Amino acid sequence: MTPSPVTSVLSRLLDSHRAGRLASDYPAIRDMLADLTDEELVTAGQLLSRLDPAEVLREHPGTPVLNVAITGYGTLSPLAGSITAELARHGLLARTRVSSAGSYVFDLGDPESSLYATVPDLVLCVLDPMMIFDEVPVPWHPENTGRVISEKMAVIAGLADRFEATTSATLVLNTLPLLQRHAAQLVDHRSRARLGAAWHEGNARLLRLGVEHPAVVTIDLAPLVAEGIPAEDPRLSQYTRAHLTPQLLARYAREVGHLARSRTGQAKKVLVLDLDGTLWGGSLDENSADGIEVAGGYRGEAFHAFQRVIKQLGSQGVLLAAVSKNDIEPVRAVFRNHPDMVLREEDFVRIIANWDPKHDNLIQLATDLNLGLDSLVFVDDSAYECGLIRHELPGVAVIQVSAEPALHTTRLLRDGWFDAREITEEDHVRVARYRDELARKDFLDSFDSLDEYLSRLEIKVTVAAIRDGDAAIPRVSQLTLRTNQFNLTGVRMQPAELRRLLADPTASVVTIRAADRFGDNGLVGAVFMRRIGNDATIDNFLLSCRVFSRGIEQACLAAILREARNTGATRVFGSYRATSKNEKVKDFYLRNGFTQVAANGTSATFCHDLADIQVTPQHIDLTNRLGENSREYHR
Amino acid sequence: MNTIDDFLAILRDELGLQVSTQHAGLKLDQVTDWDSVHLLSLLTILERRTGHSIQLAKMLEAATLEEIYAAAVAA
Repeated sequence: MTPSPVTSVLSRLLDSHRAGRLASDYPAIRDMLADLTDEELVTAGQLLSRLDPAEVLREHPGTPVLNVAITGYGTLSPLAGSITAELARHGLLARTRVSSAGSYVFDLGDPESSLYATVPDLVLCVLDPMMIFDEVPVPWHPENTGRVISEKMAVIAGLADRFEATTSATLVLNTLPLLQRHAAQLVDHRSRARLGAAWHEGNARLLRLGVEHPAVVTIDLAPLVAEGIPAEDPRLSQYTRAHLTPQLLARYAREVGHLARSRTGQAKKVLVLDLDGTLWGGSLDENSADGIEVAGGYRGEAFHAFQRVIKQLGSQGVLLAAVSKNDIEPVRAVFRNHPDMVLREEDFVRIIANWDPKHDNLIQLATDLNLGLDSLVFVDDSAYECGLIRHELPGVAVIQVSAEPALHTTRLLRDGWFDAREITEEDHVRVARYRDELARKDFLDSFDSLDEYLSRLEIKVTVAAIRDGDAAIPRVSQLTLRTNQFNLTGVRMQPAELRRLLADPTASVVTIRAADRFGDNGLVGAVFMRRIGNDATIDNFLLSCRVFSRGIEQACLAAILREARNTGATRVFGSYRATSKNEKVKDFYLRNGFTQVAANGTSATFCHDLADIQVTPQHIDLTNRLGENSREYHR
Repeated sequence: MNTIDDFLAILRDELGLQVSTQHAGLKLDQVTDWDSVHLLSLLTILERRTGHSIQLAKMLEAATLEEIYAAAVAA
């Protein structure tokens, strides 16, 4: 029997482990893990849990690292390997620390605990049903169990408060599966119903902690268990206090992996869909538009249902694009005229139908949208096309759907590629913003010079300072998480971290809004400032890739420099720290009147003496609200 | 899984442990990289391979790899 390609991937990983090369092979491991099954990922996690993060960093100093502290009620050591494997899938390196069973109250409740001392980025507090049933007396009934549930939930809410006061990390909680071996100990249905109600109210309280606390994320285990993953193995629970199965912990780790990825600015932004066999059944090339399956009939209904899911994703800020091997005209005709299509032309930022290799089309698409290739997720039913994209464009996440359209949705959503901590108003209008952008590109093509184009674009820019409680906080946080190219230092901030920063009297945050003749760009940038005495420092400067190179950054920087001078500053410093993607802004300060005052290999500091500040570019209509909401500077 | 060598191969291939016949009789704390956590994964792996239910309590009481193997194959 010939080994499957996936098995050979696992054996490559094993070879790497045996040869002691896991650390030096770390960058390649991301691609090795891309297509392992859930079971194989558990094995891969076993191997990777032996990896010494310090050794990986010695070999590859640029690898992004997350400190992940694991605590909870039961034995959780199997989770460390799964977390390591899931983070490695996203090119991240996990530095895990596992507390002994039952220590979560002490770990989270004591600000001096050894857990907080590790300066975690993510804290996984894994809760399980035994934290309730270990506490109830015998005989138990729904009422005394309900009291235990309420008490536990109150303790956890208190721990969440303490957590937020102590660290700017993210706390991950989870709901508790209700097990049949517990519920069935009550022999009457009325009591079972009362137990179930009290249990689910407890879970609802956990979920609400994730709504109300900016630093808390609650992962609901119910949908994961409903996929058919056993919640517990009574033997492991009884004998080793491992109250959740390694399989469920591995599935949970996948959710955590996506959460970690979204924290580190690697959000996926575009869903690129094949058409024939993916969005509709049959081949448009071989059939007329009437011949494709998109409604009616078993398969037609399945494709119809899948299109509804795509539309649902699109409504939340995921940019949709189609890339198909077809002639463009019949494809357009289907999107415009087919009576049963859910998705229409206006749902997409680009519909590309031609006979070029798909990887070339993906490269062009990323260029047009001014996004990195690694922000694309590609879906196709063809093994050939999927293999080609994996090979040619390893940064693109590839999802191969099968010949069974009823499974498309499950396949698409099995990995939470578009998971985000929260979405903002900006997300609901993102498709329109990008479509405006493509209209701007066509408009640009009609001019001979860039200057002429810019002067006709009628750009309006507003800069303003924000305070704690400002409605713009979620969007500013999102900009730090999603912006890669025009991000001078690469510092990411969760909303809770941003609120904490705004409480610091020496810090201020400036927002940049822009609009032009094609529409409102919304909140497109942020500048993080610090002011001590006569020195002002720009800790970070961010601008959405949709709007840079139009003079907006020069206009905003000049406004900030003038404001600094008007409030008595004598110099302004600016920092740059290299990341894998911000090379193009490394001379930003030098090009704008700053001189370099310090530098090492990856970072540099620049200084502006405020003697000669550049004027606002003529084509920009700037509204300066920096004075309106500014702070009393400490001098 | 028919022999202890098959069992050792599973430890090598699925858990990445560097073990051979000479380690079979050693106390577990003398086996390089052995961790009691491995038993949790082993239970799933061995039940999949042997197709029968294993008595975990017996495996937990085992002091050597040989004894774990014996517990796993005892029907």
